[in-house]
Amino acid sequence: MKLMDEIVVVENLVKNFKDIVAVDNISFTIGRREIFGLLGPNGAGKTTTIHIIATLLKPTSGRVFVSGYNVVEESKRVREKIGIVFQDPSLDNQLTAYDNMYIHGKLYGLKGRELHDKIMELLDFVELKQFASKKVRYFSGGMRRRLEIARSLLHEPELLILDEPTIGLDPQTRARIWNYIRELRREYDMTILLTTHYMDEAEELASRIAIMDHGKIIAMGTPDELKAMLRGDAIYLVLRGDIDSFCRELSFARECRKIAENRIEVLVDNAPKVLPELFNIALSNNVVIQEVSYRRPTLNEVFLHLTGRELRETIEETPVIRRAYMRRHWR
Amino acid sequence: MDDRDLNAVASMIYRQLKRWISSRSRIVSVIVQPLLWIILLGLGFGAIFSAQNIDTSTWPSFVKINPELLKNIVSKYFTTLFGGVDYITYLITGMASMTAFMGSFISGISVIWDKQFGFLKETLVAPASRRSIIFGRMLGDAIINTIHSTAIILLSLLVSGSINIWGIPAALAYIFIMSLGFTGLGIALSLRFSSMEGFQMIVNLLTMPLMFMSGVFYPLKTMPDWMKTIALFNPLTYAVHGSRYWLTGTDTGLSFMNPLLDLAILSIFTTIFTIIAMILFDRASLED
Ligand SMILES: Nc1ncnc2c1ncn2[C@@H]1O[C@H](COP(=O)(O)OP(=O)(O)OP(=O)(O)O)[C@@H](O)[C@H]1O
Ligand SMILES: [Mg+2]
Repeated sequence: MKLMDEIVVVENLVKNFKDIVAVDNISFTIGRREIFGLLGPNGAGKTTTIHIIATLLKPTSGRVFVSGYNVVEESKRVREKIGIVFQDPSLDNQLTAYDNMYIHGKLYGLKGRELHDKIMELLDFVELKQFASKKVRYFSGGMRRRLEIARSLLHEPELLILDEPTIGLDPQTRARIWNYIRELRREYDMTILLTTHYMDEAEELASRIAIMDHGKIIAMGTPDELKAMLRGDAIYLVLRGDIDSFCRELSFARECRKIAENRIEVLVDNAPKVLPELFNIALSNNVVIQEVSYRRPTLNEVFLHLTGRELRETIEETPVIRRAYMRRHWR
Repeated sequence: MDDRDLNAVASMIYRQLKRWISSRSRIVSVIVQPLLWIILLGLGFGAIFSAQNIDTSTWPSFVKINPELLKNIVSKYFTTLFGGVDYITYLITGMASMTAFMGSFISGISVIWDKQFGFLKETLVAPASRRSIIFGRMLGDAIINTIHSTAIILLSLLVSGSINIWGIPAALAYIFIMSLGFTGLGIALSLRFSSMEGFQMIVNLLTMPLMFMSGVFYPLKTMPDWMKTIALFNPLTYAVHGSRYWLTGTDTGLSFMNPLLDLAILSIFTTIFTIIAMILFDRASLED
């Protein structure tokens, strides 16, 4: 037992499967009430990392603690603390939603009235209450996923682990699951570790992200910190007036240049923060702003920046022009 | 074993029973198969192993044997062979054990299914001890198999007049212990063979000889010696002998066998395979 503030501590973790290095010496910590995202393409080693944290695989080397307990030596303690939704389905399709919940509760030492009430409360939370006595084999993919989330919460885990929680789901169901995750964090102060290869999902939900590739963590930080690696946002303005003197006035801009007739691009650290000031400067310089837009680099660009490859299967499509631009300027 | 482990045992028994209730086809197939054996073998061979069907009218006239005396002798031969009861009684009382025996290997199949459909992970990540989880599962399956055997025994009351109703609970106890042991063996095999094909192959190779070299279909006494030797190492033999003893009062085993010894041997067998299944499940990880 090791006392610490962090709920998850991973130190120099390595996992080999025969000759495959699935996890290659990674270290990170997760603080309480954080939503920590492991983002990476297929085969990056996300699931392997999670299975080690969940005591289902043994590390080849390195140490992992959950709530201060070593996942190898104190696996039983660790199992008490975590709730997990696996990447692949793990429900008993022959049984009803209620029975799946009931068996889980019993395995975690709950019983009687208390167990029943919690089952109904959680089925209600994931909007499956009216399907409680329906067999899981008649459930849609989204319903199964929601049931798995409800099940993983039954024993009130300190750490909720979600392995690709929205993989293969339609946009509405994804949005719904995102809402549950936000609510868990807000209402229940839950710490959540989630893996995903959708960058919009990581960006939308995670307070901190580790980007994984080929078993290594290649970058880690808040979404803003990661995007700051690309050094800022781009503001696009269509304006009338003296462009050159206007540009000179923008002391906060890293770069300000004309990209077309009446159109300029301003590179800044944080576009939303400087926009008001920019408007003020325009006003006092008699420059009329006709159009304004800004783009923030997404994690997609960060991944591209770090690996030269793209995270595929992203929902949010990035415009080609901007991508070409970024290659020119940020690499 | 603490409170939570007991809870886990109960939850796995619950799960196995719930699955059993919801799969009617399995119930039917498990009951229908022995029923077919009983009808096809019991009625077919039953008629052969009966002196009433000896037809003396076609014998040459120089054979001077009193037909009644002959029927008496033959009849005595068969009843001694089958321990004092007719063949159908002999067969159906053995069939009670065999039904549970065959059912026990279905547990192994269900572990492989759980591996493939992911439910196994749900049990592996639970804080309850692995031993209690697998033991609960074995108990649940053994209970189901014993219920199947009970159905066969109730059926035997209809087809045979020589069943001792008061012996039924004792017979079921033998069957339950035997089934628990073979469930453990099935699960141990399933944890070693992760493919359904591999498991099925081993099980088929195993069940057929064990089934025939156990005294279910024909007595141990008249078996060739090598067969007898194998039968002695077959736990099913002792369940068949013991449960048949309690159901019919007959002793159809070899001279050294008795119901108490049967019980002792079955208990040892079951303890060993329960422990093996527990150890293997304790070690189970996602890597194999
Ligand atoms: N049980 C196993 N045996 C052998 N190799 C494995 C095993 N599990 C994973 N691997 C390998 O380890 C690597 C990492 O796999 P992992 O499942 O952790 O990736 P992932 O990031 O979760 O990918 P995905 O997005 O596809 O789920 C892969 O190359 C995979 O083939
Ligand atoms: Mg994965």
